[in-house]
Amino acid sequence: MGILLRVQPQVEPFNASIPAEPQLMRLSNGAGVYLIDAGTEEVMRTDFIFRAGMITEYLPLLATTTNMMLAEGTLNHNARELSSTLDYYGIFMNLYSEKDIAGLTLYFLNKHAVKALELAGEILFKPVFPGNELDLMMKKRLNWFRISRGKTQNLAMDNFFEAIFGKRHPYGRKVTEADFSNMNCQLLKDFHSMHYSPEDMTIIVSGKINANITGLLEDFYGRLSSEYTYREDTGNVLSESPDKKIRIAKRGSVQSSYRIGCRTINKRHPDYPGLKFLNTLLGGYFGSRLMKNLREEKGYTYGVHSSVSSFDLSGFMVISTDVGRQNAEKAAGEIFSELKRLQDTPPAEEEMEVVRKYMMGEILRMFDGPFSIADSFRSVLDFGLSFDYYHRMAETIKSVTPGEITRLANTYCKPEDMYEIKAG
Amino acid sequence: MISFSRFTLDNGMRVIVHNDNSTPLVAMNLLYDTGSKDEDPSKTGMAHLFEHLMFCGSANIPEYDLPLQLAGGENNAFTNNDITDYYLTIPAGNIETAFWLESDRMLQPAFTQEKLDVQKNVVIEEFKQRYLNQPYGDSMHLLRALAYKVHPYRWPTIGMDISHVAGVTMEDALNFFRTFYSPRRAVLALAGNISPDKAFYLAEKWFGPVNGEIQLARNLPQEPSQNEARDTCVERDVPADALYKAWHVGRRGDSDYYTIDLLTDLLAGGDSGRLYNRLVRELRMFSEINAYITADIEPGLIIMTGKIISGTDLKEAESALNEVIDNLKDKEPAEVEMEKVKNKFESATVLSNTNIMNKALNLSVNELLGDPGLINTEVERYRAVTGRMASEAARKYLDSGNCTTLYYKSSGKK
Repeated sequence: MGILLRVQPQVEPFNASIPAEPQLMRLSNGAGVYLIDAGTEEVMRTDFIFRAGMITEYLPLLATTTNMMLAEGTLNHNARELSSTLDYYGIFMNLYSEKDIAGLTLYFLNKHAVKALELAGEILFKPVFPGNELDLMMKKRLNWFRISRGKTQNLAMDNFFEAIFGKRHPYGRKVTEADFSNMNCQLLKDFHSMHYSPEDMTIIVSGKINANITGLLEDFYGRLSSEYTYREDTGNVLSESPDKKIRIAKRGSVQSSYRIGCRTINKRHPDYPGLKFLNTLLGGYFGSRLMKNLREEKGYTYGVHSSVSSFDLSGFMVISTDVGRQNAEKAAGEIFSELKRLQDTPPAEEEMEVVRKYMMGEILRMFDGPFSIADSFRSVLDFGLSFDYYHRMAETIKSVTPGEITRLANTYCKPEDMYEIKAG
Repeated sequence: MISFSRFTLDNGMRVIVHNDNSTPLVAMNLLYDTGSKDEDPSKTGMAHLFEHLMFCGSANIPEYDLPLQLAGGENNAFTNNDITDYYLTIPAGNIETAFWLESDRMLQPAFTQEKLDVQKNVVIEEFKQRYLNQPYGDSMHLLRALAYKVHPYRWPTIGMDISHVAGVTMEDALNFFRTFYSPRRAVLALAGNISPDKAFYLAEKWFGPVNGEIQLARNLPQEPSQNEARDTCVERDVPADALYKAWHVGRRGDSDYYTIDLLTDLLAGGDSGRLYNRLVRELRMFSEINAYITADIEPGLIIMTGKIISGTDLKEAESALNEVIDNLKDKEPAEVEMEKVKNKFESATVLSNTNIMNKALNLSVNELLGDPGLINTEVERYRAVTGRMASEAARKYLDSGNCTTLYYKSSGKK
């Protein structure tokens, strides 16, 4: 045996094994529950999901602050007691608020399931929003905000969202320092009672699931109801900036951060899986055109990445990179010429084949283990879709043609539609 | 309980296999026992740059990534002070492709001058992106350079300075490979849908013929003990003052390693840690505060970092921090507090083992430390630490004479 015998092993075909769809169950009050029973370790994760993201707020910071304050004091425990109890039982808590949804995710050992679910109920439905804790939270957040404004990546991204979704819409509007003094306890309480209704929440439990989990969920949350359900329309309308090229100066920066992209379709659109394919080929993996061109051939950047993402009311495509100032304009020129090339020339089948194989592998990874399955499920559930979305995706990966990529490029990512934001 | 089998090839490469048929994938982790501590002080950043060069083709394969992508695989790598680690996941049916790829670059990388020049630029941009173009980005460069006088931990993995990366030649890079990329310095771990028999067969087939140079013993300069407080102050265009502190401790795996790790958890294990409770919640002097152990193979550091809330004096914030530390020295933590940090550690360990990539990495690192079985016994080792041991460790290590402080001040420009 030796070096001469180093023949490349045969590549075996493999299929994306998409698991069966989790089935909807309802608690007595109507709250939805999905169980994903998989995995080898005695741990569970519970996602509590509410339509309480920024889209529902009429003041900047209201959705995020309400969410972050949930664990800063409840009817039974103060902030300090809550965090030491969570830590004592080894429970990892993640409060999150995104553009459309907000909620709470807990990870815990199965032996502490009862305690975890009890604490989750308290945090979600019995918060008291103490004034002194809110004061501290806003001090901390203002400090974080100032630090994050020192990063050219953040400056570029904020300005990108403002350009494509508008100054007044929650998807687009920028936070300012003044917003941090606008929060008060009553605003948070009102927002909470409007948007964190137990009847309207969705729960996803994943992991090696205890047999009694449904009973526990019913005991802890099944009889909860909300006091009032009136929700006002925030009246926000999407708009776009008339300027396509935006420049933000940043003193002392040695690199420029680019965000180049536009508003586009979201996950509910039939063309979306094809657009995902196009995006991967353009800048969605290490072997993509942009990575090859800007990084591996020219050494302009440590990384360049393209992504397509979905919000409830819209979607967007964005190409991101950080480039040394001396090469910044050249790098942006290359990005635009790659977009143009996609419009003009169908990709060779050889290149399509690499993307097909890579993306099929990604689908396997997206369903590997209970928490990956839960993530993949959440990301379709939020759009009222099912695992059918992934079956369509797998089908597209196998069958999309080079000509179809050209059509998609001429429909959804035309260079003339692109906003070009440069910070630093 | 993570079961595993272990095997050593004739060329010295160690192989660990954990079979988990609940996944259609296999994770492969190939760890090389070399990192930035092995660099020439005038050519720092070499180990990390070399990690980039390992993706630029090898003896019989023009490009690393393409065949892996065609087999449905995904990969990446990282370098730190001690190790360089290459990892991937791939559909189980194509695992042999991973053996072929990884063994070929262990045999002989095949980068050209042109590729070297491109990767030097890529790494220089990475240096800018992560260390120069970020607020507080140079803090670890400054802190390490002050805490260590002679040991190579005095520079971060990215390198001391951009000029070091820019100056690397083909000969430097090839020398680095010859000295440090031998099978004797490699630990291969597989986790997922693969039997130990198959893994050992493939390891023998693909890595067996790779011969490396005889491993030379490391001869790193040992850091003299620090007996006097060190500090420095810098001013930068950042929005808030920050405080960084470091104390010398022992090696990962020393008998009191677990005690020191728990000590940092008592101080900063989440929002219920002592530092957060006192300095953020009560005194409102910091907007964030953290403490951790560097977990290095050579004698490492306890590091504390905090951002100051505007309006607070940096020195007053430091005194308040020191009081929290003194309190831990003077009074043993109660049983319930010890129980809390141990439970959190147990939870984190079990959670980390829900992922095949983590399992493969943990097995490799534990093998390097001398025992892959640590993946199953570490929780018990933490359980054995008492409050008294934690207070004693605080007195022994968190001493002002053993402390290095970096005052990172906002220049106050608007």
